[in-house]
Amino acid sequence: MTEVLIEARGVCKTYGNGVAALDEVSLTVARGEVVCIVGPSGSGKSTLLRTLNAMEPISAGEIRVLGEAVHDRRTNLNRLRTRVGMVFQAFNLFPHRTVLQNLMLAPRIVGGVADAQAREQALRLLDKVGLGDKHDQYPGQLSGGQQQRVAIARALAMNPQIMLFDEPTSALDPEKVGEVLDVMKALAAEGMTMCVVTHEMGFARAVASRVVFMDAGRICHVDEPQRFFDGSGHPRLQAFLGQVLQG
Amino acid sequence: MSPADPGRAVRPWGWYVLYAAVMAALGYGVYAAAQRVDYNWHWERIPQYVVSFDGEEVVAPFDGFVKLADDGRSLEVESLRTAERVRIDAFDRVLSGDGDLVFEGDAIAMRSGIAAGPLVWGLWLTLKLSALSLLFALGIGVVAGLGRVAHNPAARALSATYVELIRGTPLLVQIFIFYFFVGTVMNLSAFTAGVAALSVFTGAYVAEIVRAGIEAVPRGQMEAARSLGLSYPQAMRHVVLPQAFKKSLPSLAGQFINLIKDSSLVSVMALTDLTKAGREVVSSTFSPFEVWFTVAAMYLLLTGALSIWVRRLERRLAHD
Ligand SMILES: Nc1ncnc2c1ncn2[C@@H]1O[C@H](COP(=O)(O)OP(=O)(O)OP(=O)(O)O)[C@@H](O)[C@H]1O
Ligand SMILES: [Mg+2]
Repeated sequence: MTEVLIEARGVCKTYGNGVAALDEVSLTVARGEVVCIVGPSGSGKSTLLRTLNAMEPISAGEIRVLGEAVHDRRTNLNRLRTRVGMVFQAFNLFPHRTVLQNLMLAPRIVGGVADAQAREQALRLLDKVGLGDKHDQYPGQLSGGQQQRVAIARALAMNPQIMLFDEPTSALDPEKVGEVLDVMKALAAEGMTMCVVTHEMGFARAVASRVVFMDAGRICHVDEPQRFFDGSGHPRLQAFLGQVLQG
Repeated sequence: MSPADPGRAVRPWGWYVLYAAVMAALGYGVYAAAQRVDYNWHWERIPQYVVSFDGEEVVAPFDGFVKLADDGRSLEVESLRTAERVRIDAFDRVLSGDGDLVFEGDAIAMRSGIAAGPLVWGLWLTLKLSALSLLFALGIGVVAGLGRVAHNPAARALSATYVELIRGTPLLVQIFIFYFFVGTVMNLSAFTAGVAALSVFTGAYVAEIVRAGIEAVPRGQMEAARSLGLSYPQAMRHVVLPQAFKKSLPSLAGQFINLIKDSSLVSVMALTDLTKAGREVVSSTFSPFEVWFTVAAMYLLLTGALSIWVRRLERRLAHD
């Protein structure tokens, strides 16, 4: 019996300017799954990911995450968000705080964790992403790859059960992509439930339990990686794969 | 070496010489202009208004009669109405005679020593006014600035109205309103009314600086904080505002320097700030040039100190 952690049903999202970014999207993610979301630019991948922790409101449909109705007004969003980590394309580390303070902020303020304990956990997480020696530096002193690894460690600091990644390697120099993907692979191997918007087809093929193809606000195709990439899917998926795999 | 002209030897002292020459020329210009209007400089009249060596007055604590001790080293004041009496011996020169009737606040003796002159008292009042107003303006400005960027339409409209009302009317008019209307209705002292007027005025400008500072912090900062489970106020306090504050520090410094200078307008109320003290000293010395140059230098002392402090703060916060 697999436990469903994310369940989106008939989700529609229209931005204030009238752009319909999501059109009747449904998706379930079970515990331990790694779901990669791919698709052309503007197809609604980020929007979908951001509705999962209510960073974006939705226009219609329902989303349940960890058993809670995300877009219900009565849901305690702050508490839910501590159980859903998010990693951004632009890292979004807090530049006025050291690496260690970046990791300790939420546990201390939201979790009410004691200083010493938060610190110990932060150092352990930094070791895990291979940056134990950088704890006293400011984000601006780190490379992009290092910053993104710190951002992953920061998202893990609240011990989330789900991790959301929005193109975590798109802002990186090509030679830094590998170190971030390695951290994500290790996380997947530990059994973390992950939703990853990515253009890294190699990662999707190697790590994903399922790959989701989005186009024009809809989910066109969902399959396990082997069949997803064998070129037998939806014609638009084939066109997309043709483009990204040769490019 | 300046990047604009690499390879060229730079002799910075040459420019300092030019600077000194221009400043000297300007100084001579002022001097020559004063000569033409046949002005008699009396700088020697000024120092006594900055520091006075006359000493401090010892005043009567209540209405009563003075009883001088035989050795003249102490005196007693016997209350006119009650049985109260006080002994005073910390003075160096007696101003009243044995058996004199004195009233509360009358000078009965002098204590020698160095005392602040009227200009320094004015400076002190200006400093108090400015420092208090700065604190309140910062508080008002942060609240109104947060209102400007809030999602709540009522908060947004209220802060926008406040900012527009204050920025659309002259400070002098606001001071009159605070002194004559608000001050009378709420029974405020001139000092309180002055602080209130300056805080409310400066707060509107601080609000706009705070708003601009918050908007200059990338949206991703708020999003990252919220995604970690911080509430909006927590994210503001721990993530957005510290960065916004750093970005707005130069503008805030400018605004607070303006505040110190604007405080001279409260001299229209019954407040002896530095400017009012200057006017009073002019009327007793008939040396307007010297007095106003001195007053200007004393304002520069305050604004200069603030500038230096802010620059040090900026350097301390600069690490990314
Ligand atoms: N804040 C916004 N306001 C208005 N329209 C938006 C906003 N964010 C996204 N959109 C629009 O919604 C659609 C979906 O955008 P989204 O960012 O989800 O696409 P994406 O698949 O993540 O694209 P990319 O690969 O470029 O990141 C696009 O047409 C985009 O222009
Ligand atoms: Mg996107």
